[in-house]
Amino acid sequence: MLPRLRKLFLYLIVLLIVVWTIAPFLWLIISSFSYQIDLVSIPLQWIPKRITLDNYQQLFLYKGNFNVNAALFTSSITNSMVIAFTTTLLAIVLGVLAAYALARVKFPGSNYYMIFMMGAQMIPPIAIVIPLYVILRKLGLYDTRWGIILVYQSFVLPLVIWLMQSYFATIPSEIEDAARIDGCNRIQALVRVILPLSGPGLVSVIVFAFIASWNEYLYAFIYSSVDAKTLPVLIGEFSTKLGLEYLKIAAAGVLASLPPIILALIFQKYLIKGLTAGAVKG
Amino acid sequence: MSKTEQPTEIRTKPFRRLFSGEGWFGFMLTTPALVAVLIVVFVPFINSFWLSFQRYDLARPQNDAFIGLGNYIKLLGDPRYLGSLKASATFSLVSVVFEIVLGIGIAMVLNKSFKGQGFVRGLMILPWAMPSVVNAAMWKWIFNADYGALNALVTQLGIVQDYQIWLANPVASMSLLILANVWKETPFTAILVLAALQTVPEDLYESARVDGASAWQQFFLITLPLIAPVVMVVGLLQSIWGFHHPFELAYIVTGGGPYSTTELIPLRVYAQTFRSLRFGYGASIAYLTSLLLLFPALAYIRYSYKKVLEY
Amino acid sequence: MKIEKKGLFVLMILVMALTACAPKAVETEQAAEPVEADPEPTEAEVEAETEDPVVETETITVIFPKHEAEWADVYEPRIKQFEEETGIKVALIQSDWDSVADQIIPEMATGGSAYDVVEFDNGWVNEWCGAGWTTPLDDYMPAGFTDGMIPGLVDLFTCPDGTLHGVVWNNDTRFFYYNEAKLSEAGFEAPPTTWEEFVEQSQSAVAAGVVEYGMDPYWNQEWSLMNEFHFWTYAFGGEVVDKEGCFLFNTDPNTLAGLEFAIESLNNGVSNPAGMTYDQANAQNLFLTGNSLFFPQGISGLKPLADDETISSVAGEIEIGLVPAGGKSLTLPEAFAIPATSEHKEAAWKFIEYMTSVESNVVIAKEIGLLPIWTDLYTDADLTAQYPHWAGFYAQLDNVRGLSTLTWYGDFVDIGQTEFHKALAGVQTAQEALDNMASGLAEFECVP
Repeated sequence: MLPRLRKLFLYLIVLLIVVWTIAPFLWLIISSFSYQIDLVSIPLQWIPKRITLDNYQQLFLYKGNFNVNAALFTSSITNSMVIAFTTTLLAIVLGVLAAYALARVKFPGSNYYMIFMMGAQMIPPIAIVIPLYVILRKLGLYDTRWGIILVYQSFVLPLVIWLMQSYFATIPSEIEDAARIDGCNRIQALVRVILPLSGPGLVSVIVFAFIASWNEYLYAFIYSSVDAKTLPVLIGEFSTKLGLEYLKIAAAGVLASLPPIILALIFQKYLIKGLTAGAVKG
Repeated sequence: MSKTEQPTEIRTKPFRRLFSGEGWFGFMLTTPALVAVLIVVFVPFINSFWLSFQRYDLARPQNDAFIGLGNYIKLLGDPRYLGSLKASATFSLVSVVFEIVLGIGIAMVLNKSFKGQGFVRGLMILPWAMPSVVNAAMWKWIFNADYGALNALVTQLGIVQDYQIWLANPVASMSLLILANVWKETPFTAILVLAALQTVPEDLYESARVDGASAWQQFFLITLPLIAPVVMVVGLLQSIWGFHHPFELAYIVTGGGPYSTTELIPLRVYAQTFRSLRFGYGASIAYLTSLLLLFPALAYIRYSYKKVLEY
Repeated sequence: MKIEKKGLFVLMILVMALTACAPKAVETEQAAEPVEADPEPTEAEVEAETEDPVVETETITVIFPKHEAEWADVYEPRIKQFEEETGIKVALIQSDWDSVADQIIPEMATGGSAYDVVEFDNGWVNEWCGAGWTTPLDDYMPAGFTDGMIPGLVDLFTCPDGTLHGVVWNNDTRFFYYNEAKLSEAGFEAPPTTWEEFVEQSQSAVAAGVVEYGMDPYWNQEWSLMNEFHFWTYAFGGEVVDKEGCFLFNTDPNTLAGLEFAIESLNNGVSNPAGMTYDQANAQNLFLTGNSLFFPQGISGLKPLADDETISSVAGEIEIGLVPAGGKSLTLPEAFAIPATSEHKEAAWKFIEYMTSVESNVVIAKEIGLLPIWTDLYTDADLTAQYPHWAGFYAQLDNVRGLSTLTWYGDFVDIGQTEFHKALAGVQTAQEALDNMASGLAEFECVP
């Protein structure tokens, strides 16, 4: 009886978690398929009486034809994809190496390095936005994908380094010593032993790095105008002098949240125990 | 060893000679990242830091001058700044507490096996996956006093009688902002802790159970210490982000209101820099805050590393 | 595992190479491409690049927000026509009103010359004049260019030194709207002519259950709260500052009266108390559900919006009136300006001249109901036939006023919005708010 009750309790908690996580987003989805007049009525209807594709259509069509909006939308999704992917790649490569060195190798100044990386996190983007603007203009990187990719390293790299460093720290050094006794050099030990062991950690850091780049707003907004405009910036433009165009934002927001979720669903299976089971024995 | 990874081989070959010193190796691995961050963070930082020691008001260029610590001194007596500092501190610290508690809790649950486990894990990222502008707009709509979902929900559930004007009340506004922030940020903690939980070997729990340890004891004596490094890092990160990042959330949902009670620091920097065109003063707001954050952060790091080493 | 990792690495290199070589990846300012109306800009871009004629076509970069009524593509086709007629290429950057300033400011602040025509909002005029960011247009304007333009619009964009720096492209004047159907249901024949009547009609209608409130205000803590500050001040005959920038708001009894009226309205049933948390979009949404009787400062395109059944349930019920007691309506126009650092000023002027010409006004007005800047167009036969509700605007258009022109307007808003909001919340009185504003802005007293 007791284990059954426990199981029930577990499912209940899981349900609670799911509801907490999804509820607001569900409301966003419902809104995106509603007419504004229906959403503004009192009392609120949870299930709308009628649904419409207008809000989605507005993102792409005008009077039945593809208009400029469609081109803008697709180009901004592409930009976001490419930028997020490349940023993540670059940050993971550079960051994992650095994190490994910090966790394992004692070299002079490693403490200062950590503090420096932390310091980088503590400088608010809005404070350096304008000097960085000058740098990008001078380097000809304004409104380019590479410009934004470079700028994104400022917050993704320290994040990767910090997080990976803490995951590496949880792996006992005996494993690595064993590998090196077997003849691996440092780098090989890193790649063949440490990385797989910190697999779940690495995967989650990759996912977060990607999403952080995908969703970043301030830098993308200031450093792009036409060519490198990303999706969050495009969505941020759905406003008028009077206020936000909520329904358009909802529709675009639903679409914008899909790629990260799909990514997470694909990668979540790496967050399993199997990789580490039996790794440490006595 | 046979050729396994071409890129790493290529990178390490020339430096094999320097292998005698571990130090060099460490440098090689860490320098590229350092250079990248130097260019995009440090250099602009120097520029704007220098600006913070000047009066640099673009609308009144005739008054520009170097004034040393003038901006900072003025800040310490600026009630708007002090108010925003208080608001940000409340916002960030309360948020982080909830994020960590909820995050660890959720991670523990997700660590158990149940049907649909994979799906739920992937779904967890949803709040964090939303662009911040969309998140802010969504919550603003939910908190709307006349047609918002929150009012509809709490009145239908019978928790309150009438529709409330939540955002006109300072405490309610701040609480709701924190709610929105916790909702958005908790997945970050949850998933990273979940990943950390994977490295805790099952046999530790087994032997503890054999020894008769209760679930709580297992948690506090086995789980918590082992995930501590990750929790510390995540906690610190979330606190710092709570101070410097939630611009869109505050700007869109409350605008800093009611009457500047939810006016977080990024809003002040934005107002001074972009609206009042006071670049020097705006920069000083940012850096004074960073400075104030630096000390507790450093102490925290030192403390947490000591604790971790103890285990 | 080996093969997987190798493959991944190769993929990495490929992707990096791809993004580096993508056609849009590397840009220089001069090569910025015009935004085409067709859905495949990359093709057009590649075409344009390969054409590369020996003849140098001048390209100007123009940045301004989308018009609030621009659900169609109206400005872009017009700009294309400009390109064809003059041979000057236009790289157009459009975003929303809130973002445009933030995009322009970094460039202006760092002395860059990326833009040739920029958005110039009425609230920025003195600030930018003080910063020296814009070019006097008198050097480029033909004599008598501004004759026939609504005089107020010319004054608003004249710098303190008397030179004109902007030509209006968006004549955003606000008007007094009311729900005629609900007003007569409440037993009133005509909209209020005094503010007492305004209160009386509101309270009556609310008591009769015809509406929830007299008005749904938009008094959220944000930049436009100080627009409302100005409106209520002007509505009661008050003043904010004088020509030299000396404070009048804290001593003028009419200003106080105006603010007190607004604050009191939250308590006497006239205004929706939730209005303290609403922006104009929220308030407008409610007005369009018949929640309130009056909308004192609606946009010029409100009536067509009210007839859209997906956002309004009061189609046909909305009428245009006059601000009670002969009060002034706000005009919040936006203009085109040429940055002082632009390297294509002649071409930029041609653009401005073309886009604000009588012809352009007519074309765009026909498409989206843009309010013209030329006085004669208000009696144009075609336009008045298409927009009969413009008749309601005529009388008010003689009685409009803009915001205070101050070099320190940003600070005025920064301090004012918090004090005013506090007073609206009832935490302090209106007089206290005004006094706090005065002391907070003390360093700017009598600074124009």
